[in-house]
Amino acid sequence: MKNLNTLLAGVFFAVALPFGALILSGQSQLGGLGRAAGEEGGALFPSREPGLAIQGRAVYVSLGCVSCHTQQVRPAGQGSDIARGLGARPSVARDYALQSQVLLGERRLGPDLANYGARTSQINVETLLTDPASSGAVWHPSYRFVDAAQRTALVAYLKSLRQDYPSPEAKLKK
Amino acid sequence: MTQDNRSGRPQGRPPEGDGRVSRGEASLRGPFLLFFVSAVVWLLAASVLGVIAALDLGSMVGVLRDCAWFTQGRIATAQQDLFIYGWGFNAFFALNLWLLAQLGRFEFRNGWLAQLGGVAWNLALTYGIARVFAGDMTGYRLLDFPREVGPVLAVAFLLAGFWPIVAFARRPTGHTFASQWFVVGASFAFPLIYLLAQLLVLWQPASGVVQALAHSWFIANLLQLWFGASALAAIYYFLPKVLERTLTGYYLAPVAFWTFFLFAGWTGPAALVGSPVPLWLQSTGVVAAAMMLIPVIIVAINVHGTLSSQGGWARAWNDTTLRFVSFGAVAFTLAGVLGGVFAFRSMSAVVRFTSFATGLEQLLVYGCASMVVFGASYFILPRLTGALWPSAKLVHVHFWATALGFLAAVVAWLVGGWQNGQLLANPAVAYADILRAGASWCLVLKISAVLLLVGHVAFALNAFGMILKAPAPASRHD
Repeated sequence: MKNLNTLLAGVFFAVALPFGALILSGQSQLGGLGRAAGEEGGALFPSREPGLAIQGRAVYVSLGCVSCHTQQVRPAGQGSDIARGLGARPSVARDYALQSQVLLGERRLGPDLANYGARTSQINVETLLTDPASSGAVWHPSYRFVDAAQRTALVAYLKSLRQDYPSPEAKLKK
Repeated sequence: MTQDNRSGRPQGRPPEGDGRVSRGEASLRGPFLLFFVSAVVWLLAASVLGVIAALDLGSMVGVLRDCAWFTQGRIATAQQDLFIYGWGFNAFFALNLWLLAQLGRFEFRNGWLAQLGGVAWNLALTYGIARVFAGDMTGYRLLDFPREVGPVLAVAFLLAGFWPIVAFARRPTGHTFASQWFVVGASFAFPLIYLLAQLLVLWQPASGVVQALAHSWFIANLLQLWFGASALAAIYYFLPKVLERTLTGYYLAPVAFWTFFLFAGWTGPAALVGSPVPLWLQSTGVVAAAMMLIPVIIVAINVHGTLSSQGGWARAWNDTTLRFVSFGAVAFTLAGVLGGVFAFRSMSAVVRFTSFATGLEQLLVYGCASMVVFGASYFILPRLTGALWPSAKLVHVHFWATALGFLAAVVAWLVGGWQNGQLLANPAVAYADILRAGASWCLVLKISAVLLLVGHVAFALNAFGMILKAPAPASRHD
């Protein structure tokens, strides 16, 4: 392999081919997803995010919550997410179609939050942020340093996280 | 190192040397030392943050717990970015430059351009880390810096990481070696990957989960094509060089190179098994991760075949450079095999979302890449500075603290991750109980973080002591 141009061309194609095949074709397959009704004549989902929830997502990102929490429910056969009650159905690509920033997460040091809004109350979230020990959380940091406005936005964001509606791609577990 | 060593312990002293360096090496001295010193400073900073993050994790109280700058999410992010972009990149800027110059036998002209790139890289990194501590991060691991940092890092990379390729293109020698292929491949691939990922994740975000897809593609490429390829370049150089023999089955090295680059780019979606992305993408990632076993096996034949003949392992154990490099080679094989096996759906279902993925990543980034850089430093610095390593004891402390600290951490991540995954798979076990069950592994990680800090401090003291004691550059004409 004496020829530098051959080497560079080979490496270029080694990078470009998977990029095209995985990312660009993924975009072409999923880029057109939007709101849809799970059943004929039903309401359209996913819902648009409220403004306060969008602000709350910025707080969620700035605190680095994504390093410990995921936002995705795996199908049966890939872990026990549904049996554990993390969601009534697996997450599908459409659930994230309206999100400007998708935070699927890679690690679960804390529980999954894809359906957090559907399984908790306002008071629980406030307590978790200000006094995690009394809320029964294990290892959860305290966010007492977060000011009231940010906390309100963060609570609104966490409450907005729900995938408890039917989707054309995944039926709700009865 | 070829000097006789009857003590059976790593040597703290360099081999032969007349205190002067060749003209080729003299031209590398400035850029190399800038990258190397920056790398070690960032490594120390990352190690300190690593200790704080480890102590912070799993404890409900602590001095820093109520401080926004030191909340777990920010400190863990900053630590990881410092380690990858501060230590990892600077270290391989230095090592790759040296390898290319040595094998291409060229004088590194206009080295100030590479130095300018190094300064720009470190300034952009400092700014990015300050923004992370302030909470201005993107939420995408290893693309955490605010998006304005990305283009600066890309340009800095072109100067610091790609400029040596331009010099390589004008080399006087025609023949090339496996090390050069890997360095050229890594240095050419990274800017492409980084710019495309910046574009689709931060500047013009792709729709919905395609962002996650682009992110996983970036992470896989960063780890394999930059860290993996750069580390392999060094392994392919130092092993035959120090052992003074040809690699076993070296004729297979081109196959290893091309299959490594061909398959690595497709492995990203293997990290998304079970995620809301199309099944065909997940399956492609799994197949590619399994196909990566081909280059891993060929590298194993080249490297472990060589070490297993004519007392290679014994010599590796008794030589400082080779001890670190062999450690890295074993870690590479282990990372490749485990990565292939645990990409399969049935295995991934258990270890997904646990520390297992961290363990695999660290096998490559620390166990392989960082250990290889340490070993290379023991070889290169005496030649480049014309000075001796000040303390053999610090070399011992460095090796044992990093080796034991890393092994403890990787066992905690892999075994702890597997146990964690088994408990997660059982819906009858409460989440709080699963976390409590991992407390003992958390303690191991705390001890490991302290050990790694000790090892890195020993390395820094020795290296800085050597650089400060180095005589003024005086070149010999050879």
